[in-house]
Amino acid sequence: MNDFVPPHIDWAALSPIIVVLGAGIVGVLVEAFVPARARRTTQLVLSLGGLLGALVAIGLLWDSVQSNVILVVGDSFDLTPFGLAIQGIVVVLAFLSMLVIADRSGGQDAFAPTAAAVPGSRYEEEARRAGLQQTEVFPLALFSTGGMMLFAATDDLIILFVALEVLSLPLYVLSATARRRRLLSQEAAFKYFLLGAFTSALTVFGIALLYGFAGSVHLPVIADALAGRGDSPLAGLHVLAVAGIVLVCVGLLFKVGAAPFHTWTPDVYTGAPTPITGFMAVCTKAAAFGALVRVLFYLGQGFDAATRHEVHVLLWTVAIATMAIGTIVGVVQTDIKRLLAYSSIAHAGFVLVALVAFDEVATSAVLFYLLAYGLATLGAFAVVSLVRERIATDDAGAGGTRDSLILGEATHLAQWAGLGRKAPWLTAAFVLFLLSMAGVPLTAGFVGKFAVFGAAIHAGAWPLALIGGVASAISLFYYVRIIVLMVFTPASDEAGDGVPAAGAGVAGPLGAAGVAEPRGAADVAEPLGAAGVATVTQARPATRAVVTVMTGWGPAAVVVALCAIGVVLLGVVPSWVLDLAAGAAKFVP
Amino acid sequence: MTNPYVPVLVLMAVAAVLALGGVGASAVIGPKRYNRAKLEAYECGIMPTPHAVGGGRLPIKYYLVAMTFIVFDIEVVFLYPWAVNFAYLAAYGLIAALTFLALITVPFVYEWRRGGFDWV
Amino acid sequence: MAVTNYLILAAILFSIGATTVLLRRNAIIVFMGIELMLNATNLAFVTFARIHGDLTGQVLAFFVMVVAAAEVVVGLAIIVTIFRTRRSASVDDVNLLSR
Repeated sequence: MNDFVPPHIDWAALSPIIVVLGAGIVGVLVEAFVPARARRTTQLVLSLGGLLGALVAIGLLWDSVQSNVILVVGDSFDLTPFGLAIQGIVVVLAFLSMLVIADRSGGQDAFAPTAAAVPGSRYEEEARRAGLQQTEVFPLALFSTGGMMLFAATDDLIILFVALEVLSLPLYVLSATARRRRLLSQEAAFKYFLLGAFTSALTVFGIALLYGFAGSVHLPVIADALAGRGDSPLAGLHVLAVAGIVLVCVGLLFKVGAAPFHTWTPDVYTGAPTPITGFMAVCTKAAAFGALVRVLFYLGQGFDAATRHEVHVLLWTVAIATMAIGTIVGVVQTDIKRLLAYSSIAHAGFVLVALVAFDEVATSAVLFYLLAYGLATLGAFAVVSLVRERIATDDAGAGGTRDSLILGEATHLAQWAGLGRKAPWLTAAFVLFLLSMAGVPLTAGFVGKFAVFGAAIHAGAWPLALIGGVASAISLFYYVRIIVLMVFTPASDEAGDGVPAAGAGVAGPLGAAGVAEPRGAADVAEPLGAAGVATVTQARPATRAVVTVMTGWGPAAVVVALCAIGVVLLGVVPSWVLDLAAGAAKFVP
Repeated sequence: MTNPYVPVLVLMAVAAVLALGGVGASAVIGPKRYNRAKLEAYECGIMPTPHAVGGGRLPIKYYLVAMTFIVFDIEVVFLYPWAVNFAYLAAYGLIAALTFLALITVPFVYEWRRGGFDWV
Repeated sequence: MAVTNYLILAAILFSIGATTVLLRRNAIIVFMGIELMLNATNLAFVTFARIHGDLTGQVLAFFVMVVAAAEVVVGLAIIVTIFRTRRSASVDDVNLLSR
């Protein structure tokens, strides 16, 4: 028997992922051994520290990876500048998301004290009174982040599959943990899980077909086999390869939220707790686009003209359908979280526009766009988590009990009217994020759109870029609609909000008609929680809710400020980030 | 000799006929005399989900035990290849397997500390 | 050759699983459809491993099994939570978000 040669492992190059996943594992042990009252602080320090550590590790690796690609584990994982850049984007955005997750403006965090308890049950009420907290969200989010970092950096399809599951499974659980509107939250997790499991089964079957075709799950070998240089006995069966590529792409496009596979996005984004929605919307999308670019561009090297044409047709169709659905269906939404979900679908379409180019101009454009989109979207969801409903009772201002009267987020668009007068700074930040998403000059979104459409034109796909431009123009309409609503429309409950004791009686009937009516759906959703203020559920037929904004410098407000600064910086002086992105455009060793 | 896609089409047709045909045929020619037991999902001869008096309490331990069993039972599959090639893999394999076992122990410890094993 | 029969069986099992997911209403049975798809994939993996004469496919089957187990646990937890709230495991009853 010949001697065993252990695979070469470059631990330094693995360090960003190891730090994040290691922090997650330590987090699980913290849950097991640290007493309940100290858990939250410990977890927060641990997860933020872990992500910062990963960021430092990425910074240290940056220069060495530019000069030569590092083979990390044998040949199954190699660190390219592109993979490292996606990891950097994921870690930065995950760090900001973690701050939003930790936010407790209004006295409570966004997560159910015991997510396993039946909504409205006595056990849940006892857990709430005892002040239990679900600190498991921090390790779960860390595991998910680790999966995302692995997802974009591997060339081995089976590691791709494992990473897909490592990033998805915690997200399924996190979607089900909202403190308020728990039935909607559980339903979101249920839908996300069933559809996610179905598409991951499709993906793994696609991987099996590619393995059958090439005799390997290693992307370079598959690309060689596609180009006719392989020695696999089944290499003549090109149909295996095409079917495999399509099935793998279905799984990746599902995670991205592209058109035929987007149907989960609005429901899950609406139902999941808002901090988790922000995390899902930006980090998952960045990681999934990283993996999509890597798989498609790698295999693209082996495509003959016919196959390349087929893949192009597929990408064009998906990109156009995604932009169309994201913008047109987005126009008629009345819920802010649903609207942002459709906006994120549209953005997935814009990134897909760059993907048809199959070159390094496209990869750097994708990187910049993901960062610009991520900052604006994360900031927007952080603002959404700060706009709340409050029960307008006469003693609302009377002191100690006030905190417990702050309810869930006011997500109906009608409730956002007149927000500009209640919280000018927060509204200004939100307007900035919307303008960036719309692609108005001097914001990050403009530079990002310019880059992706430029990449498409560079590759000769100008009709696609034109359609993208039209879609952005339509999307501008619904972003401006919200801006007008927030800044120029007076709030229906303004009197009650300003003078709680005297104004409530006068403005009562009007405000109730204006605000309580759109809440009908949420009331249906909470048939069990009829006890009014004391329960965390929301059915309160007789009470009037007014919209209130959490001010003060909680972590979420800090995130809003940081994202706003980032959006402006990327919009005004984009050159240094564009240079970084161009340096990181190399996607294959 | 023929288009390489033809066998795939044939295969898809056969699969579709089998899958849809089975569902369709039983819908058309099968006798339809439903009773409660037939409408339930089959779960090893027990009631699929016990309907307790008062409609409230499920023996949640049943699911907890099942989930714990599935996770810790299946993970061990990674030890089989190592066990088969134990001598060949030598120290490297031993360290890798021990690391794997240590990682498996972490969720185990979590479940133990948080009362997942308090059955009695 | 005889080995292709296994591939055909894998494709048929996969199609039955996918059809189950798309047609059945009970969440548990939908879930079983997903498991059938994953196991069909396993069959394809080991068959291809046999055709190619290397072990990668068999190792991959292990990974798919373990991932499937993790998925079962998470999925069952979510379905049980939903069932305890609504007394129903039908995918059609879960429709609050699509108004």
